[in-house]
Amino acid sequence: MLNRTDRRNFLRGVGASLALPMLESFAPRSARGAQATGTDRLVCIGTYLGFYQAAFYPQQTGPDYEISPVLNPIERFRDQATIFSGLDHRGRNGHEAWSAWMSGSAAGSVSLDQVVAAQIGDRTRFDSLQLTCGNPPGQARTSFTPEGVALPMIGRPSVLYNTLFSSGDDAARTEYLLASNRSVLDGVTAEARSLERTVTASDRHKLGEYFASLRAVEKRLQKQRLWLDRPVPQVDYPLPEFDPVAHDLSLECESIMYDLMALALTTDSTRVATFTIPGWSQVFTIGGRKLSAGYHGLSHHGNDPGRIVEYNQVGIEHVKRLGAFLDKLATARDAQDRPLLDSTAVVFGSGMGDANTHDNSNLPTVLVGGGFRHGWHHQFQRDAPKPKLLGDLYLTLMQRFGIEAERFAGAESNLNEILV
Amino acid sequence: MRRIGIIALVATATPLAGAAESIPAAEHEFLSRHCAVCHTGDQAQAEVRLDGSEIDWSTRRSTDLWERVHTALESEAMPPEGAVQPSGEARDRMVAWLDSQLMRHSGVGGVVPRRLNREEYANSIRNLFDMPGFALPNSFPSDDSLDGFDNVGEGLVLSPPLMAQFLTLANGIADELLPPDGGPLKVERKLYRIGPSDLGITSGVAHVDGGGFRLLSIRTNASAAGWPTRFEAVHSGVYRIVIHARAHQTDRMFFDRRTEPLQMYLYARHKGEQTYELFDNLRKLKEFEVEPSGETQVLTAEIELMRGETFGIRWADGPAQSDPSNRGMITKLLQDRVKSDRLFYAALLEYGGSPRGAARKEIYEAVTALMRSGKLDLSDPRLDKAPGELGSLPPRAFRGVSHFIYEEMFRLGPALDVLDAEVEGPIRLIEDDIARTRRLRTEKFLEAGPPGASRREHAEAVLREFLPKAFRRPVSEAQLQEYMDLVGRYFDENPESSVKDGLHLAVRRALVSPHFLYRGLRPGHLDDFDLAGRLSYFLTSSPPDERLVALAVEGRLSQPEVLEQETDRLLHGPQSENFVRSFTGQWLGTRLLEGIMPDPRLTKYYQQHRRAMIWETEMFFAEILRENLPIDTFIDAGFSYRNEDSNLFYGGDLEDKEMRRVTFPRGGRQGGILGLASVMMATANGVDTNPILRGVWLLDNVFGMSLPDPPSNIPAIAPDTSGTTLMRDQLAAHRANASCARCHNHIDPIGMVLENFDPIGRWRDHYPIYTKPPDGQETLTEQFYSSVGKGVINGPPVDAVGILADGTRMEDVTDLKRHLLERIDMFSRCLTEKLMVYGTGRPLSYGDGRVADEIVAMTAEQGNGFRDLVVNVVQSEAFNTR
Repeated sequence: MLNRTDRRNFLRGVGASLALPMLESFAPRSARGAQATGTDRLVCIGTYLGFYQAAFYPQQTGPDYEISPVLNPIERFRDQATIFSGLDHRGRNGHEAWSAWMSGSAAGSVSLDQVVAAQIGDRTRFDSLQLTCGNPPGQARTSFTPEGVALPMIGRPSVLYNTLFSSGDDAARTEYLLASNRSVLDGVTAEARSLERTVTASDRHKLGEYFASLRAVEKRLQKQRLWLDRPVPQVDYPLPEFDPVAHDLSLECESIMYDLMALALTTDSTRVATFTIPGWSQVFTIGGRKLSAGYHGLSHHGNDPGRIVEYNQVGIEHVKRLGAFLDKLATARDAQDRPLLDSTAVVFGSGMGDANTHDNSNLPTVLVGGGFRHGWHHQFQRDAPKPKLLGDLYLTLMQRFGIEAERFAGAESNLNEILV
Repeated sequence: MRRIGIIALVATATPLAGAAESIPAAEHEFLSRHCAVCHTGDQAQAEVRLDGSEIDWSTRRSTDLWERVHTALESEAMPPEGAVQPSGEARDRMVAWLDSQLMRHSGVGGVVPRRLNREEYANSIRNLFDMPGFALPNSFPSDDSLDGFDNVGEGLVLSPPLMAQFLTLANGIADELLPPDGGPLKVERKLYRIGPSDLGITSGVAHVDGGGFRLLSIRTNASAAGWPTRFEAVHSGVYRIVIHARAHQTDRMFFDRRTEPLQMYLYARHKGEQTYELFDNLRKLKEFEVEPSGETQVLTAEIELMRGETFGIRWADGPAQSDPSNRGMITKLLQDRVKSDRLFYAALLEYGGSPRGAARKEIYEAVTALMRSGKLDLSDPRLDKAPGELGSLPPRAFRGVSHFIYEEMFRLGPALDVLDAEVEGPIRLIEDDIARTRRLRTEKFLEAGPPGASRREHAEAVLREFLPKAFRRPVSEAQLQEYMDLVGRYFDENPESSVKDGLHLAVRRALVSPHFLYRGLRPGHLDDFDLAGRLSYFLTSSPPDERLVALAVEGRLSQPEVLEQETDRLLHGPQSENFVRSFTGQWLGTRLLEGIMPDPRLTKYYQQHRRAMIWETEMFFAEILRENLPIDTFIDAGFSYRNEDSNLFYGGDLEDKEMRRVTFPRGGRQGGILGLASVMMATANGVDTNPILRGVWLLDNVFGMSLPDPPSNIPAIAPDTSGTTLMRDQLAAHRANASCARCHNHIDPIGMVLENFDPIGRWRDHYPIYTKPPDGQETLTEQFYSSVGKGVINGPPVDAVGILADGTRMEDVTDLKRHLLERIDMFSRCLTEKLMVYGTGRPLSYGDGRVADEIVAMTAEQGNGFRDLVVNVVQSEAFNTR
């Protein structure tokens, strides 16, 4: 496994090689729609409290598997989906390791979505979006920058809606803040420059972090200023009057977030999105019946059959919502008039392998869309001489976006031979 | 040992002295003859190569290496027995040469500029702008720890997302301080209809039944109220509320029919927050009385809600209302019940207790079915006894009784039905506390402006006061001018703007300026301003207060007696809580506790236990600090602070909610940091213990020994919870490997000695074994829940004997404590180093290490008081050098 510094340097290298001219984003869609590989978008969706494995994984492997109860709501996509058993990061266990789901190590390394966003984020208004429902538990973090910083997530539908589609009454204020940020940054750059002249060599090195950060932020502001002049997409979405952020309503929130995420993709506002579906001890009502225990309690089912049934009911609700989202992507068309789903890779799963025992091996994983070779349930042997890791899947995904990465999250190969 | 005064004469090192320097001939010959025989080539002994002809002093790695060589030679640990020994004179000369080189290249001081960490940043904003409620957003990046602390300069990296956050926060803070003058607020009055199913339900407290939201009265925290999930106040204002409610009572109630009105209270709470807050801590909006008759009543009120708040409806005086004054209420209810209802008692005994997780309804129906069955033996002699006297019967038989009683109350009453509610508003806006505070704060910030001043003059007067505060030191005219240029340009471009708008820009700039975000920008000996900052962030995690600044302006802070006085003042001030929390959180690891989640079913460990552990640790530490107790108190103490929740770890019988000071004889298992549940829990993982983790922790944090990182290709040793393989045997096998043994001979014995402490810090004499279900019938969960602990049996006895590398045998933790007390200088040196790293933000250089030795010696002469140690650290040259 790369140590952290190596990994950072490696990723800086990746970042340096990918800079596409910014203005490409202004090119007509048809000119930039398709890449050689046909995968243009990445969506990663993870549930915090995982799934009951025996009800998630089909019993058979290969192409003729019988769909499992939890995945049943997306059976109609089986030709466009691949189910993976036996993949994980060989990482630590426990809730605190959940955040390693997309990055493959404990907090502190870049996540898959951010690697891809660094490659293709320039082309859209938002490099990437991080979504959740309400204010999730502290360990439920999916996206990390190359510096290992967890990115904030949007948990209120109204905030996401306004971020994406509202030009806002205070556009002038936004414009002023953006413009004046520049003079703020110029000013402090000058302060740091004059400081630099008085300090020691090691201090100059430390101040280098400050300058590098200022430059990166300035670049981001520049992009924001450019997009400010372009009209935001007009959508017709019946946003509810209230944000269902109460824990009890999180399934309702989940549906709306999915809808808005689909809109963000169909309007080409972003091409990279993560959605962290949280779980607390909320008691769900499913099919008019209130469950007997809170969601977290159900996930620690202790092999109690009654609890497992209810835990699976919640799992099924999550997958139903995924299905509705996939329907939207399958219906929407891209610039080449292909279904958006064909060029959108959707990773669905969890950073929690077995919530009952806090075991993070064998992470439930499904890949849908994106133009891959689909239709199989692949089961990987964990004790194989060179076992496949979840990072191998991530490497295949990265390569599809033109990122020439050979190592990630401890993985050093890929799944090209079964997916491409 | 030299006195501390001498240290003050030691020259400050030149940072980064440069590339390789060749070793003079005499020293080179010494190394070749006595060291490089073994320490040579790629296979060098202990991976230490001493066969070069030059030394690159510019890296920490290299100075660390030569410091080890210095120590080995000075202590005569090297060359090893049997090797050719140098003459005493040659050894002294070599030691003196290394000392001079190390002092030159790794002298006192040398921290890089320290970025404010999360806590320091937040405290700085709070103090600077008088915003006590300022909190960083959850998404704000956390800081990396280096050398054990999160305030070490090298570790505090500034990254683009962090800078973006600082910029966003600066905008937000400026908006809060100097809000832009907007147009009139557009407020639309709305009507919200709230049906029974729109009230958030916590299972067990309420359910939707008979067209209403049926509420019991059984808990004292916010989970026992109905909170509308689809309403929140969009503006702070007055809302008109109408509630339809009625009492639910039937003739078949077990409880007496109620004739007094039911007390129904409304509370305010921010929507989306956790529901465990006690009602006493929430703002009560209204008290209603609901007639007991069962008639539907229309209750109206006007309530004040702040933006983002919703209201909750609670029934506060039901018969099963539990509160701290009537703990054991359910037990009493049960006793009353079985006394008066023999049939029920018989049914309960026949039922034999509910499986865990059984729904309330199932328990109720099972028991009532038995009562109706006519098959119960009412002459069973057991029915003549109280439940407590049925010794042979597992308490499990009575599990589920509370569920039975609650379900019965839901069905038969008494309960409170909330049929629906309507909220309309805001019918008028209010200047809430927040708005008022904000207005006053803005006025205060701007008050420096002289009457009749122009915008520009006004802004300059404000900045002249503000910038030195923000930058924690005087600001030059040129610096002030740069800010005035910015503001002036703004005024020129925006002739209609107010002074507020111009200052808004200046404040934003100041908050991302390196002068604000970093401290310690001037190398060498600290001046009084930098000293004020270092002292203040050390002991309060906050910027210097007015008094420190005034002393710095007068140039008096660095006077030793003033510095001592100020140290005392800060140590006894309220903000020293920050130091206590942050230092113990990191040194003793209590910060880790939040991330450790023991299974409550196995351990009965809940959040309140974590709080009790952390409070105990902080209060124990604070007493040693403020009372200047000798530092051996950390190793062995005759007191601690505990409350009723501490009973879980220490087996006491305290009944206090508040923490109280408890005393016990010294020399036992408890007392001191090694007896603290928090420390034992932080050095385990919540599930099992691992002597290696605890051993490493002890070496690093108590013995003051740092070990190299373990080789990366060795798998970690994991305890085997099935009880078949003992950790002791696994460790012994591990130590058979010589390269492992080098460190593990130190780690394992002291870690083993703590094996009596389980993963949550309880004393144990046996390892637990979690048994598997004997057949498929009874689930693990059920066994875990069993109050007699049927699922957990005693495994092999804990053998905590540890034999140190020198042959010392330790039977248990009391021997380890004795061992440490006999070596209190070693612990003192360790603690001194921790304080110095935390205070100065750098790992100890060679020169700092020498200062640390002096501090240890001097503090020992003064009686080893902990407060004295802190003062000595503050007055040392190391603390006074950047």
